[in-house]
Amino acid sequence: MVHTAATDSHLLKKDHLKGFLRKLAKEYRLVAPVRNRHGDVLFTVIDDLDAAEIELSEPPQNSLKQFFLPQQEQLSTYTVTPEGYDFHPVQATIPPTIYFGVHPCDLSAVLYMDVVFSRRQRDPFYLRRRHGSVLIGVNCNSPSPNCFCNATGSGPFLEMGSDLQLTDLGDRFLVETGRAPGQALIERWQGFFSPSADKDRAAHYQAFLEARGRFSRQVHVEQAIRQLEADTVEEKIWQELSLRCQDCGGCAYLCPTCTCFTISDQRLDAASGRRLRSWDACTFAGFTAMAGDHNPVQAKTAAIRQRFTHKLRDDVRLNGRPSCVGCGRCVSICFGGTDIVRFVERVCQGSL
Amino acid sequence: MPQPITDIYLPRQARVEQIEIENSQIATFVLAFSDRRYNDAFRYQPGQFMLVSMPHCGEAPISISSTPTRPGNIHLSVRKAGKLTTAMHGLRVGDTIGLRGPYGRPFPMEQLAGRDLLFVAGGIGLAPLRAVVSSCLDQPDRFGALTVLYGSRTPSDIAFQSDLELWHNQGVDCRLTVDAAEPGWDGSVGLVTALLDDLALKLDKSTALICGPPLMFRAVLRRLADMGFSDHQVLTTMERHMKCGVGICRHCHMDGKLACVDGPVFSLAELRKLKIMELDG
Repeated sequence: MVHTAATDSHLLKKDHLKGFLRKLAKEYRLVAPVRNRHGDVLFTVIDDLDAAEIELSEPPQNSLKQFFLPQQEQLSTYTVTPEGYDFHPVQATIPPTIYFGVHPCDLSAVLYMDVVFSRRQRDPFYLRRRHGSVLIGVNCNSPSPNCFCNATGSGPFLEMGSDLQLTDLGDRFLVETGRAPGQALIERWQGFFSPSADKDRAAHYQAFLEARGRFSRQVHVEQAIRQLEADTVEEKIWQELSLRCQDCGGCAYLCPTCTCFTISDQRLDAASGRRLRSWDACTFAGFTAMAGDHNPVQAKTAAIRQRFTHKLRDDVRLNGRPSCVGCGRCVSICFGGTDIVRFVERVCQGSL
Repeated sequence: MPQPITDIYLPRQARVEQIEIENSQIATFVLAFSDRRYNDAFRYQPGQFMLVSMPHCGEAPISISSTPTRPGNIHLSVRKAGKLTTAMHGLRVGDTIGLRGPYGRPFPMEQLAGRDLLFVAGGIGLAPLRAVVSSCLDQPDRFGALTVLYGSRTPSDIAFQSDLELWHNQGVDCRLTVDAAEPGWDGSVGLVTALLDDLALKLDKSTALICGPPLMFRAVLRRLADMGFSDHQVLTTMERHMKCGVGICRHCHMDGKLACVDGPVFSLAELRKLKIMELDG
């Protein structure tokens, strides 16, 4: 991997950041990691830029998933009248949105979701949120204790996929242009930017090297991928982890790449209702249950198998890379000790 | 600006034109989309399925049991199994349901041309195979000899009786068996595998198409292997819980494959590469 910034990269002084964002907020809805009054950092829609405390160095608790695939959304409404049973599409306008301050793990997750929701069928609900969205990433200078994006190929610096990519160089950001919408933003508001010099690009590379050395965990994701592909993960590992999984779904909900969903009807009255799509989790005992209590997946021994096999084997086969982005959120939420890092570590132990 | 994207999740209204009661648990619904133009243009292939909506019941995947050689309506043969299918059994002619589809990989009819086809089914499992049998009969010179082996619990559980009679009259070798006889039954009693013993098949020309409950499925696979069928000569269609039908929601996962888009039709050779309950034990 080469993390040398291109010579056409720009500089944005930190003093100019709010001014730049203020311009953007006039034309876009702005979403960024904001520290709330409880001290939590969350991606939030910013209504009042002056009151918002944007926090770029701490990983947000949520990812961008909820903005493109809401926890629950209405797919249609239905009515039952003497003329029959009819479905009515939902009309919604999604404002063009700039997602600012997105870490490489979460940005990689959006790029993965793009594939999920357009490879086989174009999902209209996801894509209408995604169209007209602009992603401004920020590279990670100091990964958090649970982070392991270095092992999943999704950080700490991002090479491509964002519209603009920022790197914190102390009093200024180095700004790399990615996709065309990012280039357009720079041209439109060029007053905020100045050309970068060799020393800025050298500082960018230095920041990358330092970030790479700051991971406190060494998670051997590659080894787990190899073992899953070779089918050498011992059965007892699946059983141990499945038994310890508390079936809470926390990992799937927090995971920026868990996109499994369910579709259900909500009855409003005898003659009408709403069809809803909601987040689901493959670890839930009922995920594969069919009518008549028939279930092709034995929950007690295999519930957790799908989760890790999908992320670390099936998606590697399809996309050439795992769909775990190493954000570490599941590590902090899982009280059963069956998160993906424990899985990888357990697999590696088993092979000693 | 991006083109508007088709709302793949929006069902279309279809009207029940006719209901055939197959047995106490199974009925065949003859359906047509209310939008006449859409109905006329609607095409599908044997082995594909539809997602059916019933008010307040969500959706369920149901195999199409009619043949595309007779356009104009779709048959869905449905066993009363859960909330949605039970609601379907309350439908009357003229009532409407929601449909979207067709979905899934169909039976490879091109590859089956010229071959003798051995259909082995249990209970509602005959529904997706009915689409293939009817399709073959509508193209009489395209396929070889057709044999249907069909197992039911009791004689009164035998579904698709009018089809079986029709197929028999059209030259299909139809053989039935029941798990438990009732007074008046002088046919075969026992597993559907026993029916395989008496067949004179041209093995190299034959392909078997199987659909039925897991126990039956495994027993038939063992018997076919003993008879010399290779894994490439055996096709089946898988049943899974589904939500989206288009390869996104992942409820129908099968060890890396998805029943809705990679299937529901698979060859046994393809299934052997997967860890799935149907082949386990």
